[in-house]
Amino acid sequence: MYQYNQVDQQLVNERVASFRDQTRRFLAGDLPEDEFLALRLMNGLYVQRHAPMLRVAVPYGMMSSQQMRTLAHVARKWDRGYGHFTTRTNIQFNWPKLEDVPDILEELAKVQMHAIQTSGNCIRNTTTDQFAGVIADEIEDPRPYCEIIRQWSSLHPEFAYLPRKFKIAISGGPTDRAASQVHDIGLHIVKNDEGEVGFEVLVGGGLGRTPVIGKQIRPFLQKKDLLSYLEAIIRVYNLKGRRDNKYKARIKILVNALGVDTFRELVEAEWEQIKDSDLQLTNAEIKRVQGFFTPFDYEADAANDTSLDAKLAEDETFAHWFRQNTVEHKVPGYRAVIVSLKAHLVPKGDITHQQMDLVADLADKYSFGEIRSTHNQNLVLADVRKQDLYELWQILSDANLARANINTLTDMTVCPGGDFCALANAKTLGVADQIDAKFEDLDYLYDLGEIKLNMSGCINACSHHHVGHIGILGVDKKGEDWYQITLGGSDGEDASLGKVIGKAVAADEVADTLEKVLSVFVEQRIEDERFIDCVRRIGLTPFKEKVYAPAH
Amino acid sequence: MPLLINRELVDNDSWQLVDAEALESNTLPAGDIIVPLAYYQEHEAALNGRDGQVAIQVTGDDEIDGVLENPNQFPLIAIFIPALRDGRCFSIARLLKRAGFNGQIRAVGDVSHDRLDFLTRCGFDALDIPADRFSDEVFNAFSEFSVRYQGAEDDSRPVYRQ
Repeated sequence: MYQYNQVDQQLVNERVASFRDQTRRFLAGDLPEDEFLALRLMNGLYVQRHAPMLRVAVPYGMMSSQQMRTLAHVARKWDRGYGHFTTRTNIQFNWPKLEDVPDILEELAKVQMHAIQTSGNCIRNTTTDQFAGVIADEIEDPRPYCEIIRQWSSLHPEFAYLPRKFKIAISGGPTDRAASQVHDIGLHIVKNDEGEVGFEVLVGGGLGRTPVIGKQIRPFLQKKDLLSYLEAIIRVYNLKGRRDNKYKARIKILVNALGVDTFRELVEAEWEQIKDSDLQLTNAEIKRVQGFFTPFDYEADAANDTSLDAKLAEDETFAHWFRQNTVEHKVPGYRAVIVSLKAHLVPKGDITHQQMDLVADLADKYSFGEIRSTHNQNLVLADVRKQDLYELWQILSDANLARANINTLTDMTVCPGGDFCALANAKTLGVADQIDAKFEDLDYLYDLGEIKLNMSGCINACSHHHVGHIGILGVDKKGEDWYQITLGGSDGEDASLGKVIGKAVAADEVADTLEKVLSVFVEQRIEDERFIDCVRRIGLTPFKEKVYAPAH
Repeated sequence: MPLLINRELVDNDSWQLVDAEALESNTLPAGDIIVPLAYYQEHEAALNGRDGQVAIQVTGDDEIDGVLENPNQFPLIAIFIPALRDGRCFSIARLLKRAGFNGQIRAVGDVSHDRLDFLTRCGFDALDIPADRFSDEVFNAFSEFSVRYQGAEDDSRPVYRQ
């Protein structure tokens, strides 16, 4: 993974010092509260229901074991012993003290971590495929481009005060595991007719109050033009995006208002001015950054392992975990392992400091010392020898990190909701527990197959409920929490927005409602059809009829 | 209001920002004046006939394509920043520089410590800081970061070309 050089380190150190100074000026009364608000948000610091919340950047989901240990240390020393992974692959600490934050940042800087631009109306953490570099279907590893974008966007002097937040995702190939179509900019690594690798560029996707699928603005962009093209898009947005209403301020609103063709003309005209400038990426720079993401020294004889097959045959529980929670690696003899942060009745995405330390140790022992976070709030050990899987599974199981539920109903993506978040309209954690309790039977979940469930506690859609196969949105009705259910969303290459099935259901009826939805699926399903395919085939009506049938 | 030009405090600034009342009544002060772009466009002939220099003030809402065509007709262009969160000023300054403007670009309005460095990097040479937001500490703003990744108006080379 990327290692800081002296410039990278200095920039992060100086940001710690500048934030320390901002905090000091605020506490001394020299910095007005509303100004400090914008400044602290740009450094990941919110003030939530109970305490400040610090969001630490995990650039494109990559962490070293050493960084994970520092996160554990932060959780122990300044928080209440745990952290929460987010859909931007970052980690949040829910209980730090405002005056401690500069010290936390200083500790993070020692291991090349920061909280720069994890919130605020600026360019956020670029996300990508959690299997980048190890999956066979990618055209090229997207992580070097994520890092190039990270550097370009960090403390960009022109784009620190955009109309609204700005999110970029990169998919390394045709299978989109980065939700790229629901980002302000989605980049797809593609090959053109000449066999040259570059980017298809999408713009104006996004969720929140007005969910929109991104639109293609350029079918092929050469690698050298990556930054100049991004700069052109964001300059047009910075100048023309709405600033009078924060709910209309995302780039998707501008693109829709102008029409994508007009927007494209503006961008191309701007790009024409800057594409041959110093912004052009050099081959040397691309190669330099790619050099940090070269394949590990995989063992050639790892493929000769026979122990895995034996274990799979003799231990059914392990076999389930293997099937659900591991993924084929492009190197024979290796698998990518998903560490489930979706344990039974545990807040989704939460991880304790002991678990962090353990995962760090496991990464060192089994996976070249690296860990990834996913946009569905799990972790990945991407490079595990097949012969080590059984042992790894046993250790993960003992630590409650091996629930074999990946891509099933209980692999829910859930925001912290009203229990923590000051923006939330409704709580989410209790409803997640209710769903966990109702659908505890793994065999039933396996029979149902792949289902993505996303639940957000408000319309800001941090948990991407619009693109869940099943989406749940918490709404407030006269002080009570109610839940609106959508079906048919997807954040993959077949991206679609879910549709609301009807009026919201009461808090204690969510799991029962899901049971009705699933019963329709089971009845109507053709062979091994996926839930999402079934919804697309039969439409919402059968589900509505079942859920809203008058009681007998 | 304290005015920084090229990061140093100056006290002999000849420019006067014409206030709304004077504009309304068309009673312009003598000397060098800064007027809103719309006012300039409406009174261009009269303004060019008076003694003293004339500069314009633009905001993010202004259509500035005409200005970009011939920016050097003005010795100074002020960009008004209505609020901290309004980041259009940064792009406007860069467009002016790209259009070849070689006069002074002045930040007026909500100008304070934590944006001074970014403003400077985007091409502003004059920073008009409201008195209540000024202290000697603002001079530190220019040295908080000794490294940067991107090229901008101060140095067009990104880190990988340095």
